[in-house]
Amino acid sequence: MSENMINTVPEGTKKAGEASSDRRKFLRKSVALAAGGAAIAATSAAYAGDGLKTWTTPLQNEPTRHMLGRGVVSVPYGLPSKYESGVVRRNVGWLTADTIASISFTPWQDLHGIITPNGLHFERYHAGAVDVDPSKHHLVVHGMVKQPMIFTVDDLKRLPSHTAIHFLECPANGAMEWRGVQMDSLQFTHGMMSCSEWTGVKLTTLMEMVGVDPKATWFYGEGTDGSALQRSVPMEGAVDQHGRPIPAEYTSHYRDAMVCYAQNGEPLRPENGYPIRLFIPGFEANISTKYLRRLMFVDKPLVTYQETKHYIEVLPNGMIRQFDLVNEANSVINYPCPDFKMNGKGTYEIRGIAWSGYGKIAHVDVSVDGGKNWKQANLVEPVLNKCLTKFTLPFEWDGEEALIMSRATDESGYVQPTLKQLREVRGFNSIYHKNSIQVWKIEKTGEVKNVQIENV
Amino acid sequence: MSKSKMSNWSLGLAAAAVALSLSANAFAFDNAALKSAPKVLGVGMNITDAAIKPWDISYFYDGTNLPEGKGTVSAGEKIYNEQCAMCHGDFGEGAHGYPKMVGDPVDEFEASAKAGVDAVSNRGLNNNWGNAPTLMDMIHRHMPFYAPGTLTTDESYSVTCYVMNLASIPGVGSDFVCDKTSLPKIKMPGEPLYVTNSGPDTANQRCMKDCYKGAPFVVEKAASIGDVSVGKVK
Repeated sequence: MSENMINTVPEGTKKAGEASSDRRKFLRKSVALAAGGAAIAATSAAYAGDGLKTWTTPLQNEPTRHMLGRGVVSVPYGLPSKYESGVVRRNVGWLTADTIASISFTPWQDLHGIITPNGLHFERYHAGAVDVDPSKHHLVVHGMVKQPMIFTVDDLKRLPSHTAIHFLECPANGAMEWRGVQMDSLQFTHGMMSCSEWTGVKLTTLMEMVGVDPKATWFYGEGTDGSALQRSVPMEGAVDQHGRPIPAEYTSHYRDAMVCYAQNGEPLRPENGYPIRLFIPGFEANISTKYLRRLMFVDKPLVTYQETKHYIEVLPNGMIRQFDLVNEANSVINYPCPDFKMNGKGTYEIRGIAWSGYGKIAHVDVSVDGGKNWKQANLVEPVLNKCLTKFTLPFEWDGEEALIMSRATDESGYVQPTLKQLREVRGFNSIYHKNSIQVWKIEKTGEVKNVQIENV
Repeated sequence: MSKSKMSNWSLGLAAAAVALSLSANAFAFDNAALKSAPKVLGVGMNITDAAIKPWDISYFYDGTNLPEGKGTVSAGEKIYNEQCAMCHGDFGEGAHGYPKMVGDPVDEFEASAKAGVDAVSNRGLNNNWGNAPTLMDMIHRHMPFYAPGTLTTDESYSVTCYVMNLASIPGVGSDFVCDKTSLPKIKMPGEPLYVTNSGPDTANQRCMKDCYKGAPFVVEKAASIGDVSVGKVK
């Protein structure tokens, strides 16, 4: 058993190599010799083929072997294989009153990297997706500035550009699971989150151009869709409507903010705010205003209806918590997950994604025994600031029940909480920022279920 | 934001402000954040406040920037019944999954939260809304849902007035007049409940071995919830 493999089989109970033939012994010796006598073979007595069924039917050519395929630009904007038609965004009908002020989910169970293809980015609208004509669209920057300015989309593209890969997450991600297990799919437990390469103009570039008054402590963006959505963003020195300080953890995120016009290299999709959107890495997605038409620098928050009615948390002490802006460290295993069934015992690779609105992911630990024992997973490069990080860990499944889970730690030292820890401070009535450790239960049948561990 | 605050501002003053902020914490964004920002010339246009005014439609929690005009409860009732009641209910009780205007009285709302009873369905203007000017902002900006931004200023003031009256907001009787002077004076019942987040509120530890004694108590989906899977499409 290699040191970094996690397994459900107690050490020393394997019967590895028992069925080995003379030929295998010979091969093993050859490998050992080829490696200069190093101990490669000594720790892996079994071969991949041991105990497997044997294929005996002569192989046939597939139909594609004897035909011509499609010519170039037969699909001018490329589409996935027809066999992957199930890899799509989905919504949950009962969650919202209509599909206009609603949300859809990214199918993380079918994705293998950290980048969300643009057509699979989750959608969240307050008044539906609109088609804004970029030739008629403008961005105004005003308020506590030396010189209010107006920009066309082409103006913004002319300015020094900034490109970075960041996740974007609706704070309602996981919201249906506060009171108990409800969803059977990773898509619905964690799909209100996507990750893209974003390109645009840094907010600080625009701030320098208009000459923002140093006494400005907040700014807000406003969209040109029907909701004209606006959210207040704190800067250093920001205080709330009662004069209480906004925590320092939240007052420097604006420095990474940008006005984006591109997503994964192509123009933004209408679903994601075409032609331009505000993007504030690490903050709850609602604050990254789509269809952006206006930025205003001010010295107090608006306390918009988004900030007083929607994106708040009713706490177990009866108070209403506002300005909970950062999506704290989170992670989930996307293979295996409830959207798949295990295909017999043996080797698997546990794979997952981790992210934090406070910075880079420092560690991800994985447990297969319900959180009693953990092993540090491998982080797959790149490991970036406020960006999805992929992790892997070899897993040998013995065919028995297993409780698999991942726990992210970010560079600030924040450790992803358990659901019990989260409920202790937020209660059961919360909606937003449920970043607790997700547990999947592997049944003996191979079925993978969404479960919660209540006592730890 | 008063104009005087920005009138004499210059880069020189900004540099002084950075120096002062080290001791006073009276200043906002750290100008160091802009140090790396490139100098740009010849891109974009300057714009006058007068030209911006049609877009300057944000009304602050304290009433800053509220527009001229006024509305009444009775005028609001008529508009509400025609344009709002189909989604928000004849009596503000909500309909078809759209938000209710009238929630539980604020003391009941608080008690429900403390008792761990679902508070989401209890929420309304009378418990989960901090400031009346923000209500005017929301209605004028975003309502009616199917035709956002089509109410006149007076109509929006009137609907604001009527829904506050429906929700029995103290001081909003049937003869109340809503305008830029009266709205900031309204004390919304839920306002004292608002607290600002103070940073991370959990402190999990990175335990690696024998992290707890006993068995995990594992809860699966209750059968009553039914099948909400996306289907095994593969």
